[in-house]
Amino acid sequence: MLKAETKRQGLFSRLFNPKFVMVYATLGIFLVIYLFGALMYGSKGFTSIRTFTLMFIDNAYVGISAMGMTMVLITGGIDLSVAAVASLTGMFIAYGTSVLGLDPVACMVFSLLVGTGLGLLMGATIHCLNVPPFITTLTGMFLARGVCSLISRESISISHPTIDALAGWKIYLMRLVDGEWVKIKPVAYINFNVLLMIFMVIVGIVLLQWTRFGRNVYAIGGSEQSAKLMGLPVGRTKILVYGFNGFCSALAGIAYVLYVKSGWNLALAGGELDVISSAVIGGVLLTGGVGYPIGTLLGVMLKSTIPALITFNGNLNSWWAKIATGVLLLLFIVIQRIVVNYSARKKAK
Amino acid sequence: MQDNVLEMKGISIQFPGVRALDEVDFTLKKGEVHALLGENGAGKSTLIKCLTGVHHMDTGTILLDGAEIHPSSPQSAISMGISTVFQEINLCPNLTVAENIFIGRQPMTGPRIDWKTINRRARELMERMGMSIDVTRPLSYYSIAVQQMVSIARAVDIQAKVLILDEPTSSLDEHEVQRLFAVVRDLKTQGLGIIFITHFLDQVFEISDRITVLRNGRLVGEFLTNAITKLDLVTSMIGKDMNEIFNLKRAEQKEGAPTVFEAQHIGITGKVEDISLEVRQGELVGFAGLLGSGRTETAEMLFGVVRTQRGTIKKDGQTLTLREPLDAIMKKIAFCPEDRKRDGIIGDLSVRENIYLAVQAKRGFLKPMPRQEQRALAEKYIRLLSIATPDTEKKVSELSGGNQQKVILARWMATNPDVLILDEPTRGIDVGAKAEIQRLMLEMCEKDMAVIFISSELDEIIRCSNRIIVMRDCAKAAELDGECCEQSDILAIIANETPEVSA
Amino acid sequence: MKRKLNWESIVRSKVFWAVVAEALILLIAVIVRPDFLKIEYNEVTGMLYGVPIDILNRSAEIIIIAMGMTLVIALGGTDLSVGALVAVSGALALKFLRWDVLIYNTPGNYTVMPFYLVILVPLVACTLMGAFNGLLISRLKLQPIIATLILMVAGRGIAQIATNGKQFTTMYTPYQFIAQGHVLWLPLPIIIAAVVLISIALFTRKTSFGMFVESVGVNPNASRVSGLKSNRIIMIAYMLTGFLSGIAGLIYSSRISSCDSNNAGVNNEMDAILAVVIGGTSMSGGKFSLAGTVVGALIMRTIITLVYFFGIVSEAILAFEAVIIAVVIVLQSEPVRKAMAKRGHKKVTGGVVRA
Repeated sequence: MLKAETKRQGLFSRLFNPKFVMVYATLGIFLVIYLFGALMYGSKGFTSIRTFTLMFIDNAYVGISAMGMTMVLITGGIDLSVAAVASLTGMFIAYGTSVLGLDPVACMVFSLLVGTGLGLLMGATIHCLNVPPFITTLTGMFLARGVCSLISRESISISHPTIDALAGWKIYLMRLVDGEWVKIKPVAYINFNVLLMIFMVIVGIVLLQWTRFGRNVYAIGGSEQSAKLMGLPVGRTKILVYGFNGFCSALAGIAYVLYVKSGWNLALAGGELDVISSAVIGGVLLTGGVGYPIGTLLGVMLKSTIPALITFNGNLNSWWAKIATGVLLLLFIVIQRIVVNYSARKKAK
Repeated sequence: MQDNVLEMKGISIQFPGVRALDEVDFTLKKGEVHALLGENGAGKSTLIKCLTGVHHMDTGTILLDGAEIHPSSPQSAISMGISTVFQEINLCPNLTVAENIFIGRQPMTGPRIDWKTINRRARELMERMGMSIDVTRPLSYYSIAVQQMVSIARAVDIQAKVLILDEPTSSLDEHEVQRLFAVVRDLKTQGLGIIFITHFLDQVFEISDRITVLRNGRLVGEFLTNAITKLDLVTSMIGKDMNEIFNLKRAEQKEGAPTVFEAQHIGITGKVEDISLEVRQGELVGFAGLLGSGRTETAEMLFGVVRTQRGTIKKDGQTLTLREPLDAIMKKIAFCPEDRKRDGIIGDLSVRENIYLAVQAKRGFLKPMPRQEQRALAEKYIRLLSIATPDTEKKVSELSGGNQQKVILARWMATNPDVLILDEPTRGIDVGAKAEIQRLMLEMCEKDMAVIFISSELDEIIRCSNRIIVMRDCAKAAELDGECCEQSDILAIIANETPEVSA
Repeated sequence: MKRKLNWESIVRSKVFWAVVAEALILLIAVIVRPDFLKIEYNEVTGMLYGVPIDILNRSAEIIIIAMGMTLVIALGGTDLSVGALVAVSGALALKFLRWDVLIYNTPGNYTVMPFYLVILVPLVACTLMGAFNGLLISRLKLQPIIATLILMVAGRGIAQIATNGKQFTTMYTPYQFIAQGHVLWLPLPIIIAAVVLISIALFTRKTSFGMFVESVGVNPNASRVSGLKSNRIIMIAYMLTGFLSGIAGLIYSSRISSCDSNNAGVNNEMDAILAVVIGGTSMSGGKFSLAGTVVGALIMRTIITLVYFFGIVSEAILAFEAVIIAVVIVLQSEPVRKAMAKRGHKKVTGGVVRA
């Protein structure tokens, strides 16, 4: 047992570190499904770059929120309020710009402050009052939804030059033809939301991998008791994690506003499930301690290929997506179970 | 020259109902390994918790390097240079080895964690302990032994002056123990003061320089390791002062009583080797042996808590298949588990519910016991066992340890068993309650019940048992007649004091 | 002395605070609207009318679901799939009523399949889905939140497949009777909820099932050593919750005379869990109180009804609910209760010293 193992690890052994198993599982299943789509609907354009970028564009807000959720889940908590907070953000911006005539940037900053503040408040309740995260964030969800409806029951559309400019801003993917840059066909582009999502993925990676704060997040998820005994700032970290998640939710709300250009009190109903299941499919353990932003990103992509496949099929109804998500969840949970059992057995030996 | 790195003087702690520590002194020199010994409940862990700031002492002073300290929390103790390695690994299984050593104080390059330095220094640290392992793997990837080493590496790297090793060897095999000891010796030469707590006497003699023995919260004495024999040491740990309090006669062995319960060659690989035993009606069989010698595992096999891998268990001549405890209960076997908190009491339920639980489990939930009967049953046993509770509806978690133990005993007596297995029923309860429980045990034997009694306290085993089975190293070492057996006989077997070893 | 002790234990119980909260809300309601608690007997229809009747009627589904949820939470688990099961149940019932999909837009007073199948099949299906949850939790030892998340997500999809995504409506009188009919001057849902409450109360308290649930919820290890078959108990609790969600689904779909796979039972799991927690059953398992759960469900419905009177839109009620729930939860939280118990304790010991 104590015999020397690989002393210096090369790139190969670093990549195949067992801690990445779940990320590879997600990547593998994503590739399988993508390949399936390519074989079945390749001729209809499933493999085009356009389809691929559209998947990002349609799900950017889920990805942004999932970054915050990843962090919460790694601590072993859960946050059910994300979709409601995003919806509330949409409401703030829509009401602020269209009804009150405020500057949309000011509305966005205000929403981000509210989202972060609510997150911090919930984190404090969870840590200081020892109320289960499930109940705390459920109350937060009710509160945010309720305030949404207090502002307006009607959908408020937004037309403001700043918003239009942000929403309409695109980078077209080009290629070089005869020394001249032309848009690739079918036309594919990346918009502000996608950049925002990529930015948040990077922020997530940097926070989790480069900072003491991020490592404390993992430690708490691994064993909160041990983290306390090792003298780590458990309370502060937990509260900040919920605060960060609140910020991500509000940011996701901004992305959603740019995507649909309106605010609605019932927008994103049940969206928290999309976010949580994306993270779980991306290899984040709901019991805490394990998960990577990259995995979550893959989870978001994997989850968004299913509706894409169903659209391309044309005969299947959209509700099959729900069942497919359920099956994927079951699959991943069982894989996680097997991985956990396997390593437990190994340790017992 | 300041020789003592740590001095604890006149430490006393009063817990509700128990004087956990009574004027205990303890000194630790630089560069020595000082073993702290005592039976369960002797006050070892209380003393350590005092030092690490978990408990706060009522009286006494702690001097570290001659200066008085008042550790208020584990963190403050760590910052003063007192680090502890616990029996259970207090690390994060999901983080890498390197990270577990450095988390909370990672070296940084600018705003980001310097992973290269962490991994390099972790590798150096582990290599200095004689282990070249891949420090970038998650901790859970490695065996408990490696994890134990990692927690020592973490403890040592925090510039510790005092290192407390609380039963670090209980889950290690011989080879791993040697590896650990090499590290300990190395740390010793670096001038660290090391407190070593263990149940394994061989290891004490192998590694320690001095020994302090505690018993019932009091200091028995401080010995130089090479000036005491193993036998004397065990005697001082166990003590004889309780003999006067008890005035019990063991049950009369009945001639020709039939064998009720027997096990033939049962075992689980890695836990218990081949064990055989038989118990006759009205007989009390004692199980002696140190903690971790396989006593509890045997009891759990006999009751179906864990499944046997080989061998047969018979009751009244009939072979039993025990898949879960209910199977054993149905065959009129009962079991008081060792870990009262984890396997015994159901804290939030009332005394009444705790008492009739097993009877009800036997009946199945569809045939509930009428409420009057429940209450009558509970009242009967509260009276019979003199359980100190205001009424039957008191939450069992609000009772004292001894009374909780009696409630569990009542739960099993209520099932009216033929065979009763008691695993350390007298641990951690006060002397009066101990005597009562022993008396009850003997009364049950009088009523033709077969009793298997496991205890670390030899005097109570010798006082009560008709026959004694001595366990050592996960196997049966000897079977003695309880009538004509001296404490020294058992001690010799436990200490494995054959001429070659003591020479 | 003895009375004092009892008083202390009452004050320390969570159910007590739930009842106090409900009483306070009702008091505010009566101050705002003096006729809030008025019940009238209508001689023509032979029925009782009034706000309290309405509150009871409207909270029937949540009370029914929350009965099962109480057991599940007492076991230390949760069931997130109940809302989806409500949708499945309604969808299946309407499917069996309206098998002839082609004319779904002209609802009539008839049923295609026999009426007993209309009732039975959804209930059996929901019980089986509960069994699926129970299996994942008891055999595979999955965390309840994750295990039930699967059906929470997939359940609505199943409901939509059952109805082919269409929103059937029905005018079949016996079916409408389930939620819209009256028995003994009261709306039938109240009667159904009462029957469920009484049956579950009898089942848990007249057999030992309730104690076994609490025992497993408090200490699964010790329960096993004491001879309880925890897997079986977990299975029964989740199957029962599934079955009860099925009943709630029938009531809901009968109330709206149609099935709505997207909106039926939305947030029911949240409401039910909150009802249980407000009612004093701890999320970490252990002692449970069915009466407390009922009070919890009523608190939430009373708030909703009260807020309606202020002319606030129905969706915004959630905000008020959240505030009140937050107050109740903070009051019930461990540190706060400990602090209050400590104060109470000091008072008691002080009294002893004086005596």
